[in-house]
Amino acid sequence: MWYFRSPQIIFGEDSLDFLESLDMEKVVIVTDKVLAKLGLPSLVKEHISDAIFHTIDEIPEEPSFSDIDSHSRLPESFNPDTIIAIGGGSVIDSAKILYFKIMRPDLDYYSLTPLEPLNIKGKMRFIAIPTTVGTGSECSWAAVVSDREHHRKLELASPEIIPDYSILDPRMVGDLPDRLLKSTVTDALTHAIEGATSSWRNPFSEALAMEAVSLITHNVKLALTDRKNLEARSMLQISASMGGLSFSNSQIGLAHALGHAFGSLFRKPHGFSVGLFLEPVIDFNSDSVANIYEKLNLSFSGEFRKETLKESIASLLKFLDAPAVIYDFGITREEFISRREELIEKSLESTGIIGNPRDVGRSDIEKIIEKIGR
Amino acid sequence: MAKFPSEEWMNEFVNILKSSETYREAAKDWEGDITFIVTPESSGERSYAMWFDLYHGECRDAKFFDDVSKVPKSAFSYSGPLKNWISLIEGKIDPIRGLMTGKFKLGGPMMKIMRYTKAAKELVNTAAKVKTEF
Ligand SMILES: [Fe+2]
Repeated sequence: MWYFRSPQIIFGEDSLDFLESLDMEKVVIVTDKVLAKLGLPSLVKEHISDAIFHTIDEIPEEPSFSDIDSHSRLPESFNPDTIIAIGGGSVIDSAKILYFKIMRPDLDYYSLTPLEPLNIKGKMRFIAIPTTVGTGSECSWAAVVSDREHHRKLELASPEIIPDYSILDPRMVGDLPDRLLKSTVTDALTHAIEGATSSWRNPFSEALAMEAVSLITHNVKLALTDRKNLEARSMLQISASMGGLSFSNSQIGLAHALGHAFGSLFRKPHGFSVGLFLEPVIDFNSDSVANIYEKLNLSFSGEFRKETLKESIASLLKFLDAPAVIYDFGITREEFISRREELIEKSLESTGIIGNPRDVGRSDIEKIIEKIGR
Repeated sequence: MAKFPSEEWMNEFVNILKSSETYREAAKDWEGDITFIVTPESSGERSYAMWFDLYHGECRDAKFFDDVSKVPKSAFSYSGPLKNWISLIEGKIDPIRGLMTGKFKLGGPMMKIMRYTKAAKELVNTAAKVKTEF
């Protein structure tokens, strides 16, 4: 017995118009300062008439509990019927946690597990509007929060924090800077590879992963070279949601376990952090899931497809300027060695370890880390 | 072959756990006892429990109970009806998915268990390694 869970997804040109069909009176908007400056929340608000807004626009990159906590107490008598997240993974994940905290102020953050019912679904509408093309958070029931004190990323999850609606309007990613597009595409690619192969894989997660890989590899170049091509960007948005659905209904794997630990220890962006480990992890897993890797490779567009999945991934990551070793991130060997032990320990605590198709022990992680830090 | 649930089965489980390098490594900081509970499927049926004292990757002690009310209060519990235990031992239910689909219930502080998912999974997976008759 297993489930397939998904928000209702509204996609393509003009999909923000969907908001006009919903009755909203009191709305919490969760976003960040950069997006607010770019006017994206205003673009969303134009589609909501006669509502009172409470805007939280101070979500930082890689937020911690304390960053989120200060916003969970809403102004008195402000009982929202809707919460709208407008942003990348950090914003949407924060909104998931705020949604939980607003509904259940009596519970602490660690109650946010898939093992216990929260009884919050259906009591407040939750809408996610992504502004990047990779995290897939708009379609997943996971939320990642930084625990700065312990230099780790906490992977919280509950089927009850999945958004009700996910709106993929290409206008929201029209001005996405190249570097961010590349990093988030790397994340989407990793979601697809891990969602299709995790120990909890299933026909839904596999099918969505294959199509995500196909959409990414057929559209990424176009989206980068022809910035006005909203169709290509729309396809990347869809591929990101497919990647999100794939891993969220399956599991993340070792590249995410290592990427979460690496990203929080060295404060590096999530997409490139997981991408750093993708090739060595594929190497490590290749005997366990050879047939799925072969199928994934066949999903690559001719432009990026090589003999094996690992080679195809390498060609795509090179195109995306994704760091392949620590030095590409500007990390020195000394810095790396000084935090190596922590990196191993934190990776071993990740749920990606149990999701990985091949059993992972400490010595396996040591070998993989050697490859990216040599 | 040991019958499940029984004291013999529990002892066999402990032997396999003790020889598991994977468990020892994953649970090296773990402190806290756990009880496996076989809940009755219908009223009048008996419940069973196996209590394990786990500390830093070792199983220091284990006790079998055919009356759940006599089990000492433990930090964690993993409980489900016999038919689900059978599926788990046969490898048909993943121990964590078993919790997520409501086939098993977990008692104890979640914050701790979430940091030790590998140890927890390894622990319950060991049950699948015991040669069992039903
Ligand atoms: Fe990710």
